[in-house]
Amino acid sequence: MRDPNRRLVKSALWPMIFVSFGCAALVIFLSSCSGGQTVQHESQKIEEDTIAVRYSIIFIIHGDNDYLYHDTSDNKFYANEETLAEVKRIAEENPHAEVFIFHQKPASHFLFFFPLRDGEFYYYRNGQLRANELYWRDQEQSNFNLELELYRRFRVKNEREMLSMFLYFGHEIPEFAKAGYDASYPDRTFAVQDLANGLKEFTTDSARFDLLVLSTCYGGTPFTVGMLGNYAQTIIASPDNLHLSYFDLKSLESLDISLKDGEVPAFANKFAQQIFDKLTKDIQTVVSIAVYDVDSVQEYLQSVYSTYEHSLNTLSRQISSAAIEHCDCADIPVYIMPAMNRGVNVFYRSARFGRSKNKQNHSGWECWKE
Amino acid sequence: MKSLIAFGSMFLVFVLAMPVNADGNGELKKYFSNTASEVKAADNAVEKREILNESFQNMSQTLDKVLSSGLISDNDRIGIEQFKTILQEKQNELEGSNGYDRVPDAQLNAFANYVVQDMEQADTTITISVVVLLLIIILIVLLV
Repeated sequence: MRDPNRRLVKSALWPMIFVSFGCAALVIFLSSCSGGQTVQHESQKIEEDTIAVRYSIIFIIHGDNDYLYHDTSDNKFYANEETLAEVKRIAEENPHAEVFIFHQKPASHFLFFFPLRDGEFYYYRNGQLRANELYWRDQEQSNFNLELELYRRFRVKNEREMLSMFLYFGHEIPEFAKAGYDASYPDRTFAVQDLANGLKEFTTDSARFDLLVLSTCYGGTPFTVGMLGNYAQTIIASPDNLHLSYFDLKSLESLDISLKDGEVPAFANKFAQQIFDKLTKDIQTVVSIAVYDVDSVQEYLQSVYSTYEHSLNTLSRQISSAAIEHCDCADIPVYIMPAMNRGVNVFYRSARFGRSKNKQNHSGWECWKE
Repeated sequence: MKSLIAFGSMFLVFVLAMPVNADGNGELKKYFSNTASEVKAADNAVEKREILNESFQNMSQTLDKVLSSGLISDNDRIGIEQFKTILQEKQNELEGSNGYDRVPDAQLNAFANYVVQDMEQADTTITISVVVLLLIIILIVLLV
């Protein structure tokens, strides 16, 4: 005969297991919605550092779109995830740096209804992770307010003695306000002007970043360099297309050695060479990396400003941007000027296939074909 | 049975917490990445060329079907036309027609990588909506 108590216990067991799992899931959900997962309490983090901070680096990694790519063995990767892992390693390997990492992730929901935080922030100082928080990204206007709030909360307050860098990883940043940059917020617009506004706030005391790196397609246009150049002294960008395996960041691994003399322009050129060497090894599509000395390119930028602005205004009125094409500014006679090559160092290799496979060089400036 | 329900419920809880990512562009990339894998695994150049050619043709036919469906917006139509042009250019290069030099036999693996990498640029030029991209993927699966 069956023991009635045993049956009772058994019948109660499954609901208990289910409730326990439910509670566990709820705890996970609540923790994911909580104010963050600060690794150390803020008061502990703000304590006097024993090691001086010489480098302040901000990384913004956009991940809310299609960032899938394959290597030559057909293994798949997600550019944002790969970059995040690499950037964390760099943060750990630089004992004299403070590193801000903002990972802009796709929106997600718990049980369809409860939105989860779609930004993740990491703060490293002296090679150690000091804070890791989830935050809400801008969902309408792109103003970087939330990133700025975190930056201001954690930054070391002696920036005049530090070398500062800002690195952005993502798809091409539109030159005129255009929706569709974020897969999760299809109506949200994002443009170069928005990034410039953000940079302005990150450099509040009017000092410019020593180095700005744009790991995107078509970052080397007169408009983009002109606009972002207000907040940086040296810019590294890809004027033409850029494969999603992005810029190699090996040069940032040991800044104490590679930036020993504090010469950022020389460092930027070595950095660009390293990026170029890495990309040309495996990539069959075009590889173009340019280093812009922002002060030296001003003459050229001013001389082409009105022509380029006219192009932009015309293009921004077109219903669809799908058919608009880029080209080397040197292919358009009106942009060819004596100052065109001044202040730009270009590393270029054409695509191995396609119409432009025999193109020998690039001016470093990308324009629009009207 | 109850254990199955409990497990199923837990599974749903975790699955629903994951981002819903209807990634049509990613599926297109996978399609050409699979083609590249097949090309590299093929024994000879004739076979490699055939795999590439078939892959372009299947995709082109699918795009034609979507275009003629009348269900797509003007923006999607422009995006699909642009994508079709890109594919046609690649097919021309493979064959050596329309002003292109024919891709040499020894470079077919590299060309297959080029086709994949050309779709994996950090730009925003192909603008086809997710719904239409998914439609393309469904049709290509049915066609192949």
